[in-house]
Amino acid sequence: MNGPVRRLSIGIFSGFFVLLLAVTWIQVIHADTLKADPRNSRPALSERGKERGLLVTIDGTVVARSVEDPDDPRSFVREYPEGEAFAHVVGYSSFLVGSAGLESAYAQELRSKRDLTISDLVTVILGRDLRPQSLEITTHSALQRAAYEALGGLKGGIVALDPRTGAVLAAASSPSFDPALLLGADAAAAWEELLADPDGPLLDRATREIYPPGSSFKTVVAAAALDTGAADLNTEFPDPVEFPLPGSTATISNAGGGVCNNGESITLLQAFIVSCNTTFADLSVRIGAEDIGITAQALGFNTEIPFPWTVPEAAYPVETLAEDPAALAQSGIGERDVRAAPLHMAMVAAAVANQGVTPAPYLLNRIFDADGNTLEEFESTPLGRAMAPATASLLTQMMERVVTEGTGRAAAVPGIRVAGKSGTSMGPEGLPNPWFIAFAPVEDPTIAVAVMFEASSELGESASGGGVAAPIAGDLIRLWLEGSP
Amino acid sequence: MTRNSEAATIVAASILAGFGVALVNFAQDRSVDAQTALTFLVFLIAFGGLHLAVRAFAPRATPLLLGPVTALTALGFFEIYRLDIALGQDRASFQRWWMLIAAGLAAVTLLLLNRTTISILRRYRNITLLISLALVLLPNLPSEWGFPLRGLEVNGSRLWVLLDIGFTTLQFQPAELAKLGLVAYVAGYLADHQRALREARRHIGPIRFPEPRQLIPLLVTWGMSVLILISQRDLGASLLLFVGFVLLLYAATGTTGYLVAGGFLGVVAGVASYLAFDHVQRRVIAWLAPFQHYEDEGFQIAQGLFAMGTGSLSGAGPGLGRPDLIPNASTDFIFAAVGEELGFAGTVSVLALFALVVAVGLGIAFRSRDTFRKLLAAGLTFVLAVQTILIIGGIVRLVPLTGITLPFMSYGGSALIGNLILVVLLLRISHEEAT
Repeated sequence: MNGPVRRLSIGIFSGFFVLLLAVTWIQVIHADTLKADPRNSRPALSERGKERGLLVTIDGTVVARSVEDPDDPRSFVREYPEGEAFAHVVGYSSFLVGSAGLESAYAQELRSKRDLTISDLVTVILGRDLRPQSLEITTHSALQRAAYEALGGLKGGIVALDPRTGAVLAAASSPSFDPALLLGADAAAAWEELLADPDGPLLDRATREIYPPGSSFKTVVAAAALDTGAADLNTEFPDPVEFPLPGSTATISNAGGGVCNNGESITLLQAFIVSCNTTFADLSVRIGAEDIGITAQALGFNTEIPFPWTVPEAAYPVETLAEDPAALAQSGIGERDVRAAPLHMAMVAAAVANQGVTPAPYLLNRIFDADGNTLEEFESTPLGRAMAPATASLLTQMMERVVTEGTGRAAAVPGIRVAGKSGTSMGPEGLPNPWFIAFAPVEDPTIAVAVMFEASSELGESASGGGVAAPIAGDLIRLWLEGSP
Repeated sequence: MTRNSEAATIVAASILAGFGVALVNFAQDRSVDAQTALTFLVFLIAFGGLHLAVRAFAPRATPLLLGPVTALTALGFFEIYRLDIALGQDRASFQRWWMLIAAGLAAVTLLLLNRTTISILRRYRNITLLISLALVLLPNLPSEWGFPLRGLEVNGSRLWVLLDIGFTTLQFQPAELAKLGLVAYVAGYLADHQRALREARRHIGPIRFPEPRQLIPLLVTWGMSVLILISQRDLGASLLLFVGFVLLLYAATGTTGYLVAGGFLGVVAGVASYLAFDHVQRRVIAWLAPFQHYEDEGFQIAQGLFAMGTGSLSGAGPGLGRPDLIPNASTDFIFAAVGEELGFAGTVSVLALFALVVAVGLGIAFRSRDTFRKLLAAGLTFVLAVQTILIIGGIVRLVPLTGITLPFMSYGGSALIGNLILVVLLLRISHEEAT
């Protein structure tokens, strides 16, 4: 009788073994798939309600904090006291719609390590801290708020940098949203609404959207010209009504439709001050795509900019332009395939201000623990030298003249020497994208700024960089240097 | 191992139960309160008391059985306690009472068997059968009538009995006790008729088949299973009864024909019930495609898989997962709840403990010289093993979900009583064989 019992025992233990295999499949091999299934709410639920660290600006303004939930003392709710002005920088971390911004980039630092698992115990024994860490960001709250308000709800972006260090003083995008909307029970509905909004409030127009920079790109071309010796301030150029595009019947004309100077000749300096298109189309072809490309790359084009999130590359497509002189001429005035975000153009201004060395932008100043002790402090290593110091100083003269007597007069600030360059590029449906880049004070620059409005019907078809963007640049510079707008 | 080391494992398992409760409290930011001490004490009294009863009435019994059983009960208990907190129930304190009652009844069983020896079950097997059949049919009593004993339908299955004793009502599942009686009856019957049943001269290919009239008991049991399935809509009990019987029949006779005939009858009943009953169809749909039917039939199984997958290797930690998202987690899906919070480590431990209990049970059967005791030990172990494999197999999607409880771990008083008595029967057999 033991024979059959033995055979049945083998059957039963085979059964246990198959159960073991099934459990191994579910909990080991297939576990990640089950964990990631969108219908499985457990992973998100486990992060929900946990304490997260503070996000504080360098001037001490709290932009994100966790406070105890009044309804449930064991859990926390996230608050964003500065709301829309900081939305794209701070981002959000929602269990329903995902995460963005610094909340996403530094999720690991910001989250509480208190998972109440064995690894907690190990962490405590090793003397590490389970409490969430906090971030101090380089942004100045007053400047950030002013930048956001200056955009006035129109589509656009502003970035202000400290040209000496690359610290991001402000990065504003408009229109914006209140990140708190994405946290509550109605997060999914709010998210759908934001996605459906034709103005794209979720888009970060300061650092994550690229546009043709228009004439503000002439700063790059001028830097290349001076650096390579292709021209100096007094080099004379013809002053035609139109510049015929090489190998094409199309032409480039000037903003007013006429000549820039006297119809005979114009110097590089004059052309820069009045933003003469024909001169820079001509100059661009004379320098060549490779040499402009070298300067552009050193200024942050065609390069991945290290940042808390992925910044799209600013584009100056050297290889295609080298084979297409017509496109090369158009690129000389920041049109055609040239693209940059306000962040990149702020870097261009900052490089000129910083005697030709391009600073690498950074947003995170330091990480500190729950007791306020600094755990890690950050500074950035410059991207590299983009132009000779002499070139930078000549460009500074040119840009200052733009503000004192040229297209950037609206950026002038009484008592402060401001250098700048306007730009107005062609957006969709023939509407313009106005730009202005600037830095100040000229003798010892402490701020570099790029202001950009995205083409929109509210902005109108006659808006220009010198007209709508320059005054904002001036206001922000005055706020920064004098403490009042 | 000795009785003393058995005592040590019981104490260790009781500490495990208290520690589990303390961890859950800690995780939920509750103070580590009296629940911890209370749980530890109840485990110590229930299983320690049972241990003392074994010392008194079955001192030569194997010391390997009570430890793992206590550990399994502890693992199940802390999950029940944890689910109580999430769901606002109070099942844990009921379960503690049931534990004391079950251990008490098991101890009394040992005491009684000490006077009569286990052979009484063989001698009075016809009475056992009648009582068992009555128990099986109890839930079919009307749910609305003057008599205080009523049938009760829960989740579409009619396997509960409600006893109204004036100030309160007690609910229990008589099938949990009936399964012991039926195994005892079958073991007795087979021990007496073994030789006749072994007469299997007919061959179909290489498989030997018994005389047709010797198939009558098989057909009767099959008929009873089908009756339970139809009248009580209880797939689990029905399957358990039938499979247990077929395995025991094969164990007693070694005639492969019984397995083949049993398998055939099982398949016929299975296909017929699939065609006839909605609730069987729903189970099959949920088994084959839980994620495609996530909104309805497949929800429970899908949630169980999510829970176990999220638990992954080391689990979320006691009190830190969300097993409350699984419907009926503290009864049918306690294994998935353990898998979520204790992870692969926890589920493997549970499987290992069950395998150990089953191995010890089969060892008792192997070593028994007396036919009845051998068959009874084997039958009880088979029922325990089949029940474990069926319910866990249902959770991990190897077989359709049958809706039976996981022995020792699931919430439920009658199941705990039945299974602890099953354990003391095994202990008693082991004691008698060692004498």
